[in-house]
Amino acid sequence: MTCSDVERALPEMLDGTPDGSLAAEFETHVKSCPDCSDLVSDLKLIASEARQLAASEEPAPRVWVRIAAELRAEGLIHDREHDRDSEPASAPGRPILVPTSPRRRWSAWWLAPVAAGLVAAGSYVISHKPASAVAKQQAPATPGTSPSTSPASGSPTWVAETPAVTSGGTSGENAAAVRAPAPERLAQKSAPPKGVSGSSAEPAPSPEDQQFLSVVSTRAPSMRATYENQLQAVNADILETQAYVNRNPGDVDARQHLMDAYQQKALLYQIALDRIQ
Amino acid sequence: MASLQQAGLQQGRFQQVRLQQTTVVTLVLATYLSAAAFAESKKEYRFTVGPNANVSVDTQYGAISVRPGSVNQVVVTATIKSASVEVDQQQSGNRIEIASHLLQGADQQNGQVDYEVLIPPDATLNLHSSTGPLSAERLQGDLTLEGTDAVVNVRNVANGHVHVRTMRGPITLTDVRNGHVEIASISGDVHLKSVSGPLVQANSGSGKIFYDGDFSSGGDYRFTTHTGDIEALAPSEVSADFSAHSVLGRVQNDFKLQPKHSRFSVEEGRSFFGTVGKAASKVVLRSFSGRIRLKQR
Repeated sequence: MTCSDVERALPEMLDGTPDGSLAAEFETHVKSCPDCSDLVSDLKLIASEARQLAASEEPAPRVWVRIAAELRAEGLIHDREHDRDSEPASAPGRPILVPTSPRRRWSAWWLAPVAAGLVAAGSYVISHKPASAVAKQQAPATPGTSPSTSPASGSPTWVAETPAVTSGGTSGENAAAVRAPAPERLAQKSAPPKGVSGSSAEPAPSPEDQQFLSVVSTRAPSMRATYENQLQAVNADILETQAYVNRNPGDVDARQHLMDAYQQKALLYQIALDRIQ
Repeated sequence: MASLQQAGLQQGRFQQVRLQQTTVVTLVLATYLSAAAFAESKKEYRFTVGPNANVSVDTQYGAISVRPGSVNQVVVTATIKSASVEVDQQQSGNRIEIASHLLQGADQQNGQVDYEVLIPPDATLNLHSSTGPLSAERLQGDLTLEGTDAVVNVRNVANGHVHVRTMRGPITLTDVRNGHVEIASISGDVHLKSVSGPLVQANSGSGKIFYDGDFSSGGDYRFTTHTGDIEALAPSEVSADFSAHSVLGRVQNDFKLQPKHSRFSVEEGRSFFGTVGKAASKVVLRSFSGRIRLKQR
């Protein structure tokens, strides 16, 4: 007896009405085949548990009728003709398991080329992953000069990050957000410090910055988004520091930080241009 | 009812087994095809050099790892990802230049070349990689490491100057002594552990700077960030002149500082100035809006 034969004989065996010789062969195969053995055990368990279900817990007959109709429609079962006369009219005909047709037996193999195609497509997409799109910004404002108070028209919606920590302080200028260092995200500027004219505008690339990005786009397009993000962050630092220096012209340390911010921008230019081939 | 359940279970079980078999076959096939498509190759280059050699390795995509080797030889092992990239090598006397040359259609995946380099311990080294990582250890010459996103790792370097620049790659220096250390990053974090010398300078815009050491050697230590935090951990017996100021951030100090004269006005919570011990070294911690903490180990 083969596994297919076991499959065909299962309903008969589990109903407890097996043919004598069939039962012997069935038992012999089940003992030697782990898959069939597991299947028989599972089915026996389910059958025994099902018998213990109270009648009140059993779904309405219309549920089974509907399930049977769907199984019949899929060709998985067909009714025994000779049993229909003895069954109540409301109950579904006793179905028998339809051995899987050769077409069904091979139905899973269509997955092989589809899956291979998906893997190949995935590999292609990953290997040719375009740079993450960043909204282009139209803005004429030059960073580091007088801060603009309103964003230029068409300025993009940067991915904003909730400001992490508000640095405390005794002075009123304590609302500046400490930006998280994640490079791909721009921290959304918090409200300007109290009593201070705002520089909450998005930093816009200067003509030099635009030219720089244009060169990067031409020679290293995959890096454009990265450099643009970093440039925006650096420009934001310059704007922020410049605004502070404008408000506190006597603060030597702040002036030094402004110089440092410009040096950071110079460093960014340098690193980018060194890498562009 | 039980028969319906049996029918459904049986069908489902056999389909599941077939699906599993199909999946395994497909995965094996896909792996083989992928491996075949990205055929790697290894090449080795050997150069004979004299003292104070100058070695430069430049790759757009890929890792570079440098260790000390023979005193008169440079050995470069390049693992080339595909035929879309080739390795150019040139020797002019004591100067060695190795560079990855991307061909038409090369990208970050197939244009990758990883280098393992053995150099004389006193050689001057220049490493460039966009993706990295970059690592150098147990060397005594001057080192320059530069990367865009590269993770940079330098360990056990003595007597040489160390220059590191990244855009956002994190930088870690461990056991670096007796040389000038200059680190600059736009947004990468900087970790310095047991780093000391006549000059130790680290600058990061939005990255954090962590220092764990003794500020020894009578050196000049300067850590600056724009928005990143600065955290320094030093032993109680440190001997240094400390100066810390954050324009908009907070500062915190665990040491009892002897007051000193400073051009900066002391603003509670925003700055501290003072000396510990004999003030052998100078430590300046500055941030525009980051938090500064000087902690005692």
